[in-house]
Amino acid sequence: METYPQILLENRKPDHINTLAEYEQNGGYEGLKATLQQHSESDIIQMIDESNLLGRGGAAFPTGFKLKTVATDAPLPRYIVCNADEMEPGTFKDRVLIHTNPHMMIEGIIIAGYSIKAEKGIIFIRPEYESGAKILERELKLAEKAGYLGKNILGSNYALEIVVHRSGGRYICGEVTAQLNALMGKRPNPMQPPPYPTEKGLWDLPTVLSNVETFAYMPHIIRHGPDWFKDLATTDTGAGTKIFCISGKVNQPGAYELPMGIRLSEIINEYAGGMLNGAEFKACLPGGASTGFLPKEHYNIEMDFESLKKVGNRLGTGAIMVFDQHTCLVDATLNLTEFFARESCGWCTPCREGLPYIRDLLARIENGDGEQDFIPILEDMGKQLWSAYCAYAPGAVAPLQSLLRHFREEVEAHIHQKACPFK
Amino acid sequence: MPKIIIDDRDIEVAPGTKVIEAAEQLGIMIPRFCYHPALGSVGACRVCAVKFLQGPFKGVQMSCMVDAQDDMVVSTTDEEAVAFRKSVIEWLMLHHPHDCPVCDAGGHCLLQDMTVSGGHGIRRYPGKKRTYHDQYLGPLIQHEMNRCIHCYRCSRFYQEFNGYRDLGAMQSANQTYFGRFEEGILESPFSGNLIDICPTGVYTDKPSRYFGRRWDYERSPSLCINCSLGCHTIASSRYRKVVRQEARLNEAINGHFICDRGRYGFSYNSLKQRPRTALFDGQTASIDEGLAVLKQRLQAIVDTDGSAAIACAGSSRNSLETLAMIKRVSQARSWQPPAYLIDDAITAKVKTAISVLDPDLAVEMREIESADFVAVLGADPLNEAPMLALALRQAQRKGATIAVFDPRPVCLPCEFTHLPADPDAIHTGFGAVINTALDAAVVDKLDAPAREFYSSLAAGEQTFTFQQTEIDTLAEKLKTCQRPVMVCGTEIVSRQTPALAADCAALLQAAGKAAGLFYVMPGTNAFAAGLLTDENVSVETLITAIEQGSVKALILVECNPLWQFPDRQRIEQALQKLELLAVTDYVNSEVVPKANIFLPTTTLYESGGIYINQEGRVQVVEPAYRGGIPIAETGNGDHPPRIYDSQIPGVEPQAAWQILAQLIDIGQQINANDLRTDIQHWLIKSESGFNQLPGLAQIPPLGTRFFQAPNSQKHFECQQPNGGSTDDGRLEVLVTERTFGTEELSAYSACLQELANAPCICMHSSDAQQLNLNDGDQVALELNGGVIEARLQVVENMAPAMLIIPRDGKLNWQQMETGQTRIRRDQIRKVE
Repeated sequence: METYPQILLENRKPDHINTLAEYEQNGGYEGLKATLQQHSESDIIQMIDESNLLGRGGAAFPTGFKLKTVATDAPLPRYIVCNADEMEPGTFKDRVLIHTNPHMMIEGIIIAGYSIKAEKGIIFIRPEYESGAKILERELKLAEKAGYLGKNILGSNYALEIVVHRSGGRYICGEVTAQLNALMGKRPNPMQPPPYPTEKGLWDLPTVLSNVETFAYMPHIIRHGPDWFKDLATTDTGAGTKIFCISGKVNQPGAYELPMGIRLSEIINEYAGGMLNGAEFKACLPGGASTGFLPKEHYNIEMDFESLKKVGNRLGTGAIMVFDQHTCLVDATLNLTEFFARESCGWCTPCREGLPYIRDLLARIENGDGEQDFIPILEDMGKQLWSAYCAYAPGAVAPLQSLLRHFREEVEAHIHQKACPFK
Repeated sequence: MPKIIIDDRDIEVAPGTKVIEAAEQLGIMIPRFCYHPALGSVGACRVCAVKFLQGPFKGVQMSCMVDAQDDMVVSTTDEEAVAFRKSVIEWLMLHHPHDCPVCDAGGHCLLQDMTVSGGHGIRRYPGKKRTYHDQYLGPLIQHEMNRCIHCYRCSRFYQEFNGYRDLGAMQSANQTYFGRFEEGILESPFSGNLIDICPTGVYTDKPSRYFGRRWDYERSPSLCINCSLGCHTIASSRYRKVVRQEARLNEAINGHFICDRGRYGFSYNSLKQRPRTALFDGQTASIDEGLAVLKQRLQAIVDTDGSAAIACAGSSRNSLETLAMIKRVSQARSWQPPAYLIDDAITAKVKTAISVLDPDLAVEMREIESADFVAVLGADPLNEAPMLALALRQAQRKGATIAVFDPRPVCLPCEFTHLPADPDAIHTGFGAVINTALDAAVVDKLDAPAREFYSSLAAGEQTFTFQQTEIDTLAEKLKTCQRPVMVCGTEIVSRQTPALAADCAALLQAAGKAAGLFYVMPGTNAFAAGLLTDENVSVETLITAIEQGSVKALILVECNPLWQFPDRQRIEQALQKLELLAVTDYVNSEVVPKANIFLPTTTLYESGGIYINQEGRVQVVEPAYRGGIPIAETGNGDHPPRIYDSQIPGVEPQAAWQILAQLIDIGQQINANDLRTDIQHWLIKSESGFNQLPGLAQIPPLGTRFFQAPNSQKHFECQQPNGGSTDDGRLEVLVTERTFGTEELSAYSACLQELANAPCICMHSSDAQQLNLNDGDQVALELNGGVIEARLQVVENMAPAMLIIPRDGKLNWQQMETGQTRIRRDQIRKVE
């Protein structure tokens, strides 16, 4: 087993959370010092842009580009928001990061905040992560005491305050614009841009929102440079490392920091300890519940955003859920659809009504009440949900569409046998 | 100007036009639920999907979310788009209860139309339907959530457009619920619009529930006469009863909406107690008999006391025809000059407002929505002219600063700065703002009268109680604004304020701003009444004349002075002193039983009429139906409710102007239409204010502002009053309007009576503290005429040393002496 460089999880400790002192001993806040002492705002954005850091929350939006879209003459105050909502099923990397080294993401938020002249930072965290919220609140105070937050950070003119905001607890709050609505006390319905949040976000002021993992990379990019970061990946198209969250029928499920572009087979066989005894790889969801089933033919795929896009899938959050030959994928899809039907915000018709419709038909198929006619209806709806208001519904039907594409016989077997063949 | 091709047809549209709107201009109605012209596009329902074939967008997209751009080629009939829209309808119908046969929206339901036209006819969904609990939302609206298709129009109207928060979306996913946190009466006085904007039957009209299908109704364009704005409505009648009123689009006045007072203020029309027969000395008679007796008795008075012993009074709820005919008859018969308004002060203020309403300054209500600074001087929009409050909200949503200078605890459904000035200090407060706002360089370039006026607005020297910082903040906003509007009331303000408001607007205009001026007036046709009335003539002067014995006969034409006159004892004594009191009206007002002769008149719904709103817009209303006693009444509850007769029961009443015409012996020979034309000719010929009045046929459906202020040089002539009044420890009394309960006609509506809060007397907390009174205490005001007893409401947001009494029909408030404006503190006591 090759040992890859650990960037985010390097000092992960089995028994405790890295303290501020421990973080500082290992180069913590050096990136911030360099930022404030040596770099202009635009230098920072330039470096992040050159590093090719793509947003790690699932959408893979180029972070440097996002920072660039805050116009230099945009109104003040500006906001920086850290998305720690992490509601994507199978994903637990942000939680691991918070519990490993909370100051790393805090430092990243400060650096990114500096680059856009943000005055206020907000960490939006899901309510189930109450322990994480408490850790962050405690560590933010310590960071402020140490001069990393508050007024005149490290003797510079830059001032930033960061608060922790607990979500009301819906999946859609993880979506950028829905999250901003939630922060403003409104219903968390997504809003279709334009205007983009970097132009008119919270209270119509420029707002940059990124994922915990994305922020955590920033101090390292500043310290070691963009080229170093790009070279961490094993593919030319990828950049940096990625925390993969592996769950399902493997021997050692967990969060592993591995280079972007590592092969799926290597992740499962080397790091996740291989398939469980007697289990054979049937398919996996490569990036959380809103990605499609990746069938066995792609077992050796290079796990980066580009490669998965090529096979009609997505790397998403990098949460790999592994299914074996005994798993009924109709049932799995039903389970996922159940989740998405429940978590829809209810704003647009296709998502609000289409997902429960799909759930109903899948439940009938799984329970042996399916009819052949259901398949074309499901196929049509799968396509039509792409015309929903936001990206939620296309993600929600990704498992269904890949089920019908790669495992159609399994669906038909349910209908013909009038029962689930796996039960 | 972008050019776009939709279904092979070209159209050029204004920049920013959505594709759905461009298609509408071509006459192509793309299906829609969430899109509403007043609420804008949000892309929620997804039923307006079309296929973009060429241009910057490709594929199936929502036509409400895309701005029309050059080179766009759009198909509304593309197979993929049609299939998608059909699916959207199928999704919307998954849980719909298909209860059209018992749904009041059936027949004018957008969902029905779209379902049928969208081609979704056969149900495929095998699942169970969702069910919701409905809520009690008050007496106006029936809630049926199972019908909901989640277009979000209601919550967007209610919260965004309307500014109230007690109704909205709750829960999520396909359990999303539209309603209140808990059951209860909706707080917004614009809630009835939910009925109009709901594309299906979630919100239906409660008072007219199950009364008929839309196609059963005689639907007629009509007008609201419950305040001076003159909003457009549609009246629906069936079985000889006006049963429902809806908003009618008017781009100049009310837009798509109306207030609840206007929507439900029509009940007086079909009340059981409505007097429909002529009476003299308690005996029923025909109108002709009644008229004959009236003529005879009038002649007797002329014979003994001369014709000047006869006076006629109308009111601002008269149609223009009636107002004119009152004057014409009074002149022709050499009676006293007629009175239209309640007292001299109101008459003077209305006349002043009209005389200074420069056409260059006057704005339509909808223009207020695009103002960037609105100063409200002595007006309480939500209570006096509710739709004005909604216009102010739209201005504020677009970034306007709203500043209200008014002593009352004014509430608006938007953010605003309230400077609770006492009535005499209203203009000094705003004067200080203007004085601070204008640069010396600008002032130097003004003409001498304007400059002089400017310097009279001395900043900081006046005795008002506002913070200088508030003045400075507003001045800063006024300085940078482009389109300021002065909104000015005519009721509680001092006599000079209307003219000063116009002067302020003229000054801002001279200083280079596109300034506007907008008055609020006391009553629907107060503008026309103001044009017709003589100076120094009012109901008050007539009462004096009766007391002095110079007037012996009084004819009240759709006028109930008891409702508004503050000294009940005095007016009752005066009426008793009369030798003849004749009343003509369509409501059974308090003066009807006191009349020696009563003649029933028709309502606006039966005879139509011409009304001039507060901005001088003349509007024609056609009759909504033929009239008569409602079938429910004549049928005595029988089914079928038939009685056999050769004519419609209860159509004896005539328009007041028709009755009056017979007093000068015209009218019998000519038909109603010719008589109306005749009245118009008389007006144009005899009344200088009306010489521009267009012919009936020339008045466009939206009405037209015909009126030209006689002399636009009138600005800057008004004398500044001498600051605030001296403090003698007494409380100033203001009798004011409330949204519900104080306007005479709407007070007849049972559903609105339910909404009107129990009348309260309002007092500033500092005064309450001094008097040892608390909020909620029952207090008694011991006045000369008697005692007014009501609950006390203690507030912070009003001027101190003041007492606010609503002119509420349920409060026996008319105990004041004429001209009394102050009461001593020892006249107020707590009732244990």
